[in-house]
Amino acid sequence: MSKRIDRRNFIRGCARYTLGFGLAGLVGFTLKDTTTGEWVWQIDPFKCTSCGRCATHCVLNPSAVKCVHAYPLCGYCDLCGGYLKPGHISRDTAAENMLCPTAAIERKFIEEPYYEYKIIEDLCIGCAKCVEGCSAFGNGSLHLQIRHNLCVNCNECAIARVCPSDAISRVPASEPYKIKGGFEPGSQDVAES
Amino acid sequence: MNRTIQIVLILAILAIAAVVLYDSLSTRIDKRPDNPYQFSVEEFKPVDESLLSHREVRQIEVDNPVAFTWQNGKLFLLSGNSLQVITPEGRELLNKRIDFNPRSVLVDKHGQIIISYENYLVALDSEGNELYRSEMLDENSLLTSLAISGETLFVADAGKRQVWILNMELETIESFRGESGVSDVHGFILPSLHFHLAVNEEDELWITNSGMHRIQNYSLTGRLRRDWGEPSFSIEGFSGCCNPYYFAFLSDGRFVTSEKGIIRVKIYRESGELESVVAPAAMFPNGEKAPAIAVDENDHIWLLDFDKKMLRLFRPV
Ligand code: SF4
Ligand code: SF4
Ligand code: SF4
Repeated sequence: MSKRIDRRNFIRGCARYTLGFGLAGLVGFTLKDTTTGEWVWQIDPFKCTSCGRCATHCVLNPSAVKCVHAYPLCGYCDLCGGYLKPGHISRDTAAENMLCPTAAIERKFIEEPYYEYKIIEDLCIGCAKCVEGCSAFGNGSLHLQIRHNLCVNCNECAIARVCPSDAISRVPASEPYKIKGGFEPGSQDVAES
Repeated sequence: MNRTIQIVLILAILAIAAVVLYDSLSTRIDKRPDNPYQFSVEEFKPVDESLLSHREVRQIEVDNPVAFTWQNGKLFLLSGNSLQVITPEGRELLNKRIDFNPRSVLVDKHGQIIISYENYLVALDSEGNELYRSEMLDENSLLTSLAISGETLFVADAGKRQVWILNMELETIESFRGESGVSDVHGFILPSLHFHLAVNEEDELWITNSGMHRIQNYSLTGRLRRDWGEPSFSIEGFSGCCNPYYFAFLSDGRFVTSEKGIIRVKIYRESGELESVVAPAAMFPNGEKAPAIAVDENDHIWLLDFDKKMLRLFRPV
């Protein structure tokens, strides 16, 4: 005998399937991008707009994002837009002249009139203030990268979710850095910065 | 399905939906907190009204501009692989296909057009037909600016940090690096890959030494004679490490300069004293690049705004 599908049963069935598919969809959506596999998170420095969220939204404190320095791009400027605060009183290493809120950049005299700028990674909080100064007034040699010796490779990077420039995405773990100026990933300059 | 399971399912969906909704709303651009580490130069942008000497009177849209110059009542404009000649009203007179990636252009008083590329130069007649082609100057060259004095062509090489001297058939005569062995005559310091030079009505050769934030006058054989310029974020000086980026001359020898970072265009007296502001930072909202400069026969100032992709004409108020 064929089963009679009345209106009430039909609506109940539809609701059940809708709920079931809805939940599956939501679970799928929530789990999207959560398989880490051989992938790690990294910043595309050419997309980053120095919004400051890399300092404030990483699950780690201080952030796993650090400033790195592409030395071949640097002008070794005396008047460094990434090191000196706009309107600085003098061009020296006095704290009141520094742009970096944590004094994480070391200025070293090379020869007149060239200076080298080195990031002290332990002090850097990834705020991108120097990145913006260097991009506006210099060559953009200072830029941010997620440091994989620190990053815990979250299923969903907490910074990627709030990055206004969609600058953070997964990259193959075999090529974990996007360094400006053609550095090899993990090269000496970056590792030391 | 058991009623309890249905209720649990509905509650689970509502909870997940609430989390997703909260997450997407709280990360919306207009809901995000201010950047506590904001880098700002806003305080240096306002300019005293009494310093403003020009107003903008015309804009002409252009495609992918690279460089431009003014000569004999016409604008000569380079883009990816074309040379365009236009009237001051924007009417096209000539559009010629040229080699890819030109860097700068100059036209002499007789109408000969010189175009620089990464490491070589090409001379064209006024119809755009090739007259001469130089050999490769150096494999590391980056030829970013040109100037003429009589029958001598000066070429700024940002790659080699030197100035080449050529004749008008594009044969190399010599080069100089602005060094003398004396400690305060240091040579050209170029933090970025741009190097600019120009010759004024008195046939004086002036060259940017942007790492020192100065514009320097050299003899035609490459000896430093005098210079001026001070680094400063205030309106009197040149801000940042690569400024002044471009400059040009008014007919009486005053300098028109443009800067990146805080984008602004100013006029300086021959002594190096600030005279007035042609275009303050407010005229380049969200701009990133210093505009290139050309001055016409009436001393009106043309700017090539790379961000807006526009030629902008400024006349005295
Ligand atoms: S959140 Fe994005 S835009 Fe902001 S500093 Fe980090 S990478 Fe740059
Ligand atoms: S300014 Fe910010 S990003 Fe730059 S070195 Fe200092 S803490 Fe790091
Ligand atoms: S993946 Fe996690 S630990 Fe790594 S940068 Fe993003 S939020 Fe920080």
